[in-house]
Amino acid sequence: MIVLPSVDREQALRYMGMHAAPDETLRTCMDACEQRLLAAAVPRYLHRVCPIHASPEGIRCEGMLLTGADIAAHLHGCDRVILFCATLSVGADAAIRAAGAQDVLAGMVTDAMASALTEQLCDAAEQEILSGFPEAYATWRFSPGYGDLPLSLQGELLGVLNAEKRLGVTLSSGGMLIPTKTVTALIGLADAPVPKGRRGCAVCRLSGSCPYRAKGEHCK
Amino acid sequence: MTELQEFLILDGGMGTMLQAQGLAPGAAPELWNTEHPEAVTAVHRAYVEAGADVIYTNTFGCNRLKMAKTGYSVQTLIQAAIRNARAAGAPRVALDIGPIGQMLEPTGTLSFDEAYDIFREQVEAGRDADIYVFETMTDLLEVRAGLLAAKEHGGGKPVFVTMSFEENGRTFTGCCISSMALTLEGLGADAIGVNCSLGPEELVPIVRELCNWTTLPVIVKPNAGLPDPVTNAYHFTPERFAACMEPFVDMGAVIFGGCCGTTPAHIRAAAELLRRKQIVRRHPVIPPAVCTANRTVTVTEPRIIGERINPTGKKRFKQALAEHDTGYILGQAIQQTDAGADILDVNVGSPEIDEVEMMQSTVRAIQGITDVPLQLDTTNAQALEAGLRVYNGKPIVNSVNGEEDSLNTVLPLVKKYGAAVVGLTLDKNGIPKTADGRFAIAKKILDRALAIGIRREDVYIDCLTLTASAEQEGVMETLHALTRVKQELGLRTVLGVSNISFGLPNRELVTRSFLTMALYAGLDLPIINPNTESMTAAVRTYKLLANIDRNAVDFIAHYGSEPAAPAPQKTGTMTLGSAISAGLKAEAASLTRELLTEHDPMDIVEQQLIPALDRAGAGFEKGTLFLPQLISAASAAQAAFEVIRQALPDQSGADRGTIVLATVKGDIHDIGKNIVRVLLENYGYHVIDLGKDVPYEAVADATEKSHAPLVGLSALMTTTLPAMEATIRLLRERCPWCKVVVGGAVLTPEYARQIGADLYARDAMETVEAAKQIFGDQEMPAP
Repeated sequence: MIVLPSVDREQALRYMGMHAAPDETLRTCMDACEQRLLAAAVPRYLHRVCPIHASPEGIRCEGMLLTGADIAAHLHGCDRVILFCATLSVGADAAIRAAGAQDVLAGMVTDAMASALTEQLCDAAEQEILSGFPEAYATWRFSPGYGDLPLSLQGELLGVLNAEKRLGVTLSSGGMLIPTKTVTALIGLADAPVPKGRRGCAVCRLSGSCPYRAKGEHCK
Repeated sequence: MTELQEFLILDGGMGTMLQAQGLAPGAAPELWNTEHPEAVTAVHRAYVEAGADVIYTNTFGCNRLKMAKTGYSVQTLIQAAIRNARAAGAPRVALDIGPIGQMLEPTGTLSFDEAYDIFREQVEAGRDADIYVFETMTDLLEVRAGLLAAKEHGGGKPVFVTMSFEENGRTFTGCCISSMALTLEGLGADAIGVNCSLGPEELVPIVRELCNWTTLPVIVKPNAGLPDPVTNAYHFTPERFAACMEPFVDMGAVIFGGCCGTTPAHIRAAAELLRRKQIVRRHPVIPPAVCTANRTVTVTEPRIIGERINPTGKKRFKQALAEHDTGYILGQAIQQTDAGADILDVNVGSPEIDEVEMMQSTVRAIQGITDVPLQLDTTNAQALEAGLRVYNGKPIVNSVNGEEDSLNTVLPLVKKYGAAVVGLTLDKNGIPKTADGRFAIAKKILDRALAIGIRREDVYIDCLTLTASAEQEGVMETLHALTRVKQELGLRTVLGVSNISFGLPNRELVTRSFLTMALYAGLDLPIINPNTESMTAAVRTYKLLANIDRNAVDFIAHYGSEPAAPAPQKTGTMTLGSAISAGLKAEAASLTRELLTEHDPMDIVEQQLIPALDRAGAGFEKGTLFLPQLISAASAAQAAFEVIRQALPDQSGADRGTIVLATVKGDIHDIGKNIVRVLLENYGYHVIDLGKDVPYEAVADATEKSHAPLVGLSALMTTTLPAMEATIRLLRERCPWCKVVVGGAVLTPEYARQIGADLYARDAMETVEAAKQIFGDQEMPAP
């Protein structure tokens, strides 16, 4: 079980577009929101390790077909993937709704903090999982919807992980992961070092209009 | 269901058994009902031979959503599944129904009515089964939809429900054991229990707690241990599994089966053990209690019912109802729960509105943001039923009285939906003057409630507060009646206390004193304004003095570190403009109040508020001020506007024009849209905020009705952009006059053009600019 005692505030501030030190109003708001969010969120994750096979149509993995050049490049040299799903559970959504009902700022702050907390959960979970593979080399987390890996893979991925029954994660008819503070990802494993690649921008669909890139920065 | 004389034995795992025969992992086992009926029947037969009394059909995921792409209808698969179970010689066949696979509103996008209809289809297709079973459920609201569908369309067949709990004693959605038991027993389930998620050893404390909260037969259907983290396999041998049933027998569970990883061998071993065992009869004493899915509130000590969600005598509240401004009502809910309310009264009756629709949408909205139980307060039976239907948990109904009409209308609804009920001690002759008269009506209400099967613990009596200034001699009669109801009938009591002081000076003192007297007389549920600190303090003090708050834990928590009275809003040299820039809401409101004593409201708006907002907006555009600061400033300005609005004559809010706002269908990310709303309102636009996940038609309906010249749509996900395009298309057809501005993280100006929008807004300030473009940047008209 992963315990997250606090929210990465620097990250949360970036998510809310705050590129300066928070003022008194914002700090007070963040204190209150953090407390309620941590009380409401229940961080959980789930993973499975599966072999992968290259085929002319794409990479085959547990009945799934991973298509597109980006995932192929990402998993180049790997023979297994860790299929991964992590969520803050519905409590985080409830906390965001409750905060927003009271105050628009608190709603946005809680949402940004929950996003930061989700990243923290993913990092901690990834570390925990990889500690079980001390000999292996791992890629970074690649999610459906990155680059040209279709977002429609989401449903199959949840099915293979049995995420509905084991984690309470579902896909809405609009294709959204519910609880909303949920991440699915694939991490490639190999016996030899794999190039880490430039994470993010190179495969990001939003790189053309990204406000961070416009400022010469990038999102973590 | 009558008390079981013998243990009832259910079957074990199906999916894993079929996989052993070649079902591909991830493939739908339900299809085998028609494609490989003999294999399914063989599994059923093995369980019958192992000793199962009840066979679950192979229909766990057999609903219209999960079966949509299989090419089979729900009817075909369910009927085939029942035939397969019968062919195996099943003594009794249970139609197995699992979770829908999508989450209900407000966390997800599936509506309660749609969930109900999905279950209704399954229930109707399964009419040939003997029992209906809902299993592996985690969302109490979804279970309620299913149970109602089975009760209303299942021809009176028994309904079993099992939910899946985690080690923290809650389901994935946070539902707790007591709330499950109170809600499902109230709604008429015939047996309840647990299945899946944990192994039998981890389920021990959960089943123990469940046994304390229900009089129904308890079902235990665990996995064969916990899954291996690497292989996902389950390792309990049949013998170990069977031995684990023993503690459950001792607790009084009577229905047993197996879930993931169990086989006919596990069921055979369990059946053998149970043959040597006797049923242990339980006699649980279930306390009076109400609940939401995530919180149970016992009425074993005084609990505060917040009275503020009620339009009576409140201009602003009536306006909020007329404008369908749920945001305002939610604000009232949060304020009261923060102040210490344990339960919230919900009254949305107002002449100009559709109370039936309003009650239902308000209950949903409040339950989306707080887990405090609700008291549905209405004299309209249809509105009451609409609220009861969607309420997630066990609410209080306020109220029934001694009149025949009321008894005949309200009590059956209370029974059907498993609520608690407030009985008012009045009848067609009015309120009896004496304690005896009111006691007699209380007794009549109790007798009638008991006669239709409502538990004594679920009847709360209100002996009615009369105004001390008008009927001074009646005050003690109320309290005498209350004590008698409590002591002689053994019922819980409820009382709205605020009326006592009407027409008197120093109302707060009178009300607070009466509250303390009533608590001493035996009042359990004071209905008060919890925002008045002295009232909640009186309840806390009473609990301290009456030795309910042991060691003064709660009292000290609230008052132990009290600062020397919270500093009054010291505004000193601060101006309204600087308060807004700093995002100080309370100060902005208080400064506006001061300014109003000397200035015209519209002068304040034009000379102080709007310039301050413009400064914030300009800073944001220049990049010297960031989004959280813009929102803080806008929120502070909103607080100031609220004060100004109250100072203005009725309904004459500043209005630069009407804008319809919505987050499109399928999308539930509404943070950005809410920011846009606040800014637009600050700039004097009348915003009709339709919320999130809004159907295309609802956007067109609202635009048509209001004839709004501008519609703002937001979408955060690439998957919901098609819904944005479809909404725009419908608007073009039905509301050709309107312009559409779109925004959202994944949108670009190019894409906005491509889907037919008129304008693209990168952020909230750009939406204000878009509005100015459409409506013209004229001076704000006098309100």
